[in-house]
Amino acid sequence: MTITIDAIKSAIEGGERLTEEIILQFYKRIEEREPEVNGFLTLCRDEALERARSIDQKRKKGEKLGRLAGVPVAIKDNISTDGMKTTCASRMLEDYIPPYDATVIKKLWDEDAIIIGKTNMDEFAMGSSNENSAFKVTSNPWDTKRVPGGSSGGSAAVVAAEMSVMSLGSDTGGSIRQPAAFCGVVGLKPTYGLVSRFGLIAFASSLDQIGPITRTVKDSAISLEVLQGHDPMDSTSYKGEASSYLESLEKGVKGLRMAVPKEFFHTKGLDPEIADSIRASIERYERLGAIVEEVSLPLMEESLAAYYLISSAEASSNLARFDGVRYGYRTKEYEKIEELMEKSRSEAFGKEVKRRIMMGTYALSSGYYDAYYNKAQKLRKIISLQYQEIFKDYDLIISPTTPILPFLKGEKTNDPLEMYLGDIYTININLAELPALSMPCGFSKEGLPIGLQLIGNHYSEATLLRAAHQLEQEIGLKSPIRKEEV
Amino acid sequence: MKISKEEVHYIAKLAKLHLTEEEADKMTEDFEKILSNFDAIRGVDVEGIMGETFKTTEAPHLRKDEERVFEDKKKLFQNTLDLKEGYIKVPKIIE
Repeated sequence: MTITIDAIKSAIEGGERLTEEIILQFYKRIEEREPEVNGFLTLCRDEALERARSIDQKRKKGEKLGRLAGVPVAIKDNISTDGMKTTCASRMLEDYIPPYDATVIKKLWDEDAIIIGKTNMDEFAMGSSNENSAFKVTSNPWDTKRVPGGSSGGSAAVVAAEMSVMSLGSDTGGSIRQPAAFCGVVGLKPTYGLVSRFGLIAFASSLDQIGPITRTVKDSAISLEVLQGHDPMDSTSYKGEASSYLESLEKGVKGLRMAVPKEFFHTKGLDPEIADSIRASIERYERLGAIVEEVSLPLMEESLAAYYLISSAEASSNLARFDGVRYGYRTKEYEKIEELMEKSRSEAFGKEVKRRIMMGTYALSSGYYDAYYNKAQKLRKIISLQYQEIFKDYDLIISPTTPILPFLKGEKTNDPLEMYLGDIYTININLAELPALSMPCGFSKEGLPIGLQLIGNHYSEATLLRAAHQLEQEIGLKSPIRKEEV
Repeated sequence: MKISKEEVHYIAKLAKLHLTEEEADKMTEDFEKILSNFDAIRGVDVEGIMGETFKTTEAPHLRKDEERVFEDKKKLFQNTLDLKEGYIKVPKIIE
């Protein structure tokens, strides 16, 4: 039995297990596995156990339990948690304790979830390997010499290693989907605006989106139902009606129209084992009755440039607030205010963060604005329209999540451009504000997980989750570490 | 050459960052490679596409700008390093 939201909830509701026992068991597992995986930055055992006991009390009194009752959840360390350190894996926020909860955190509390800790990430969510964390490098639970992906690497690794049932990540250019692919779990990036960003420490506001990482598609559906919903605190929050996803999961994919962009398979550097695994999944979909056709989606390399220009420009602006004056790191010796700011920022930001701030400042500086930033924005529109064109005829797009398998620690740290190329299949989705999900679809000969990406039209998460669930049932799951009963 | 080391230092100044000579050398090298790659977008025809209209989901909507008091002042200032009589202390700005 795999540990799922349903299994935990029904064990608690049926009185078979106390919430406290379950949470203690997860902390025991963390004690055993965390030394190797290094997925957490902060653990909050006492608070979690106290919360667990209050849920047990609630049940004893016969009160109705929330949709995530007793479910352990790990939170990426760029999502604000009242009273609990939120560092963005940066020296800049090493001691920062938010005075308020992000909207998604409030929603988790309201549904009786139990936050067990905060997870490691690339500094300020900039990176694809977790090697840009200022504090530690998380390992991939499938092969601890390899990276878990990034930037939500800690969130993906702790779910893969069954140290948590669910986690929250954030996705600006693939930061939920790529680590989910590397760690063999399910990662969902919702449509832009579907989940509130209030309390998420911003990287690139027009691209950032919070989403769940889980072991099963069904758990992803349950999580999204909890996380979504309009929030007046986020001006980009979706005002439409909230959909439910569980009821349509079991509907088949017969007649569903799926597009496969041919350019995605001609990408330089696409691992042949990944290509084969995706093709095998396409065949499975065809056997299940879906209609799969090849389409064209050009502008791959150009979109990578557009993404890095726009995201860096927004980052340079968003990260201007970290000046060492009001909160965050402050340098020890300074005379003038300018010196205080410059020294604080230079000492506390890591290499990649500085590189992005520099790139963004350059793209926005006079003389280059039209050549780079403005052009990138227009290109973004073209890319969005290309996707809209495809969705006139198709329900979903299938692609690999990443062109490469989980790589060795240190393998790509010297070449930022090579690292950026790994985002080739995921960045477009953020530019076009679309929802997409990565799910495990197979393994390489070496036993490393391979991720398949399903892309849907805006607010079509129900179709996305249904198609993913159907494929997951066909393939079956495999756990990296011995499965245990809850 | 797409960018000189002097330009890199100038951009750093705009971004309120200080780079050592060694860091500036590496940054210039990285920029060179990244900008060559970014030039891919120069060739794309964007004629007739209006900027700032990339959005295909709904447009942002603003709530009423209403004042709300954050009651717990202690909590609000819990991350402030240098506080004096309810004000954040910084070096002298005006001589």
